[in-house]
Amino acid sequence: MKFRGKIIDVACLNHFTRVITTISKLTKMCVLRLTPQNLFFVLSGKVANGGVSMWCELSQENFFDEFQMEGVSPEDNEICLEVTPENLSRALKTVQNAKAVKVKLTKKHCPCLTIAAELPTLSSVSRVVTHDVPVEVIPRRLWHEFKEPSMPDFDVSIYLPPLKTMKNVIDRMKNLSNFLVVEANLNGEMNLKIDTDLVSVSTHFKDLGNPPWGDEASQQGGPSQSRDPDTMAQTRVDIRKLQQFLVGQQVNPSKAMCNIVHERVVHLILLHEDVSLQYFIPAVA
Amino acid sequence: MNCVLEGNAVKAFGKAIHSLSRIGDELCLDPMSKGLALRSVNSAHSAYACFLFSPMFFQKYNLGPEQGSETVQCKLLMKSILPLFRCLASIERNVERCQIQINTPNDRVKIQFFCRHGITKTHNLCFQVSEALQAVFASHLCPNVLKAPARLLGEMVMHFPVSQEEITLSITPLRVSLRNYFEGANDHMKTMYTEMSLHPDEFDYFQIGVESDITFCLKELRGLLSFAESHCLPVSVHFGAAGKPVCFSVEDMILEATVVLSTLIDSESRGSSQPGETLTVAPRTPTRCADVVPESPGEADWRKAAVPAGMELVASSQGSPITNSPALLLLLHHLSEPHYQERANSTPASSICSLLFRAMTPESGEGLRVLACCSDEEEAEEEDVMMMRRSPTL
Repeated sequence: MKFRGKIIDVACLNHFTRVITTISKLTKMCVLRLTPQNLFFVLSGKVANGGVSMWCELSQENFFDEFQMEGVSPEDNEICLEVTPENLSRALKTVQNAKAVKVKLTKKHCPCLTIAAELPTLSSVSRVVTHDVPVEVIPRRLWHEFKEPSMPDFDVSIYLPPLKTMKNVIDRMKNLSNFLVVEANLNGEMNLKIDTDLVSVSTHFKDLGNPPWGDEASQQGGPSQSRDPDTMAQTRVDIRKLQQFLVGQQVNPSKAMCNIVHERVVHLILLHEDVSLQYFIPAVA
Repeated sequence: MNCVLEGNAVKAFGKAIHSLSRIGDELCLDPMSKGLALRSVNSAHSAYACFLFSPMFFQKYNLGPEQGSETVQCKLLMKSILPLFRCLASIERNVERCQIQINTPNDRVKIQFFCRHGITKTHNLCFQVSEALQAVFASHLCPNVLKAPARLLGEMVMHFPVSQEEITLSITPLRVSLRNYFEGANDHMKTMYTEMSLHPDEFDYFQIGVESDITFCLKELRGLLSFAESHCLPVSVHFGAAGKPVCFSVEDMILEATVVLSTLIDSESRGSSQPGETLTVAPRTPTRCADVVPESPGEADWRKAAVPAGMELVASSQGSPITNSPALLLLLHHLSEPHYQERANSTPASSICSLLFRAMTPESGEGLRVLACCSDEEEAEEEDVMMMRRSPTL
């Protein structure tokens, strides 16, 4: 198994660092899948993380100037590593002004992703900084747990309001309740509601627009033409999970949308130019 | 003592107190004719810091009549004085003048802030009279010296997380490097290792007498680095082989700040040494306390060094092993009596990081005691007195 990547462009390095920092805010540990074309950060939904799952896909050529990998075997040309994204984020943050940053899979005291950077200096010899981030190699037999999630059979798909606004609202609501209902309809309307013994609060968003999924043959029985556009599909979720998702977002995405499977799951999708992030929050009773 | 600071000097004074708060829980105010010294030591006695403000730093600086042959050193709790200077930004905005008075009769330090709009804030802090502690560190005897702008050192340590306790500084003729240090095998597999290295050219001054790797507490140093950066002062680093203390200092016309930190000894190389074999014979200048401590014969592999079993670790020393006091006492005796060195090596004292404190030189005319010994024990006191008399003038 071998992996070597090199980032030279400052903007790419910056963007890469921000993606990893966002991931680090979403989860303590996740799986990094490396293929010849892509990098995936995957969190599979387990009871331990409250059933939340995440899938983040980056196209390697948008970030790396050099990218070479050799997977476990020619048929399974992939590398699967369990990593703590915060370590990667910390390591990358310190080398933002580097001339070049190399990321390699190495074996030091344990398997590591080594981030080695050359920093510019006034003298003739550059400064060298090396960070060895420990990783755990995931054996092939467990790879099935980290496959790309399929698009759920959602009832409603809607574009999200500005994430900052959502975050402000949810931050306030979190003080009042642990659970939040997310509901939306095909008329571009979305409500965030909390309901406790003492108080109910709801925030209404209008004219958000609905993505044209109907064109895509991605699922059977998707948003059917016969669905009443005013009918709300709703899911009750743990407010902290939703807040955690919003806290990490550092960049405004080109597109942000939300699929709701009534009483089952909230599926959030953020699309940037070269990164896509999906986040699934299951319903709570 | 009565002194007045104004404007920016108050902020600098506050910043010094911030830096000192990183070291210990107590602050010692020591008014001297050459200036006001603020000192702090950590509880394990493995870190010492001193900020000396010359009389020119103050608008007014008067030592009272009681400051004749006898000095009054005031020991204050850091948590009493730090809150007064906590918010430097608001001090900068509001405080015009600050007056500090030490009143021996009622054991109080009076700190008054004369602020805008005619507001005066008066704080009376109790102090304990204590013997001044001072680490005597012969920096001119150190084989390795680095001098660099504070910004460079800041850039070196920024690669390490704020929570990083100890780091290892290595020096060879070709490069200077810093790497993080973790003790023991706990979480060995999970820790992220960081190393950064640079070329000697980057330093304003680079002198290497002996290749060495020294491991010291980074947390305790950050306070000084932050002070130096805010005042754009160059930092000098004096050190030697592992086990000997390292001294970081900054100075300008009106102030001097020093942080002396003990460094870890390579406990691995201790294993097979014969008693007395590797012990450096304390030279005629017993001012270097760490001389008593044996030099490690070879390059230390810090990643494998483990704290020897049975070692007492003091939480506040951030993991630096210390020895128990009877052994400390033993060491103090050895400084003046070389024939006791044999015993030193066989006691747990042989793993001591370093002993910093020695009596002040008689030159200053003040009969100060060594901090580190059990000053309660009369036996120790007698020894101390003897050692002080023998200390040469620096």
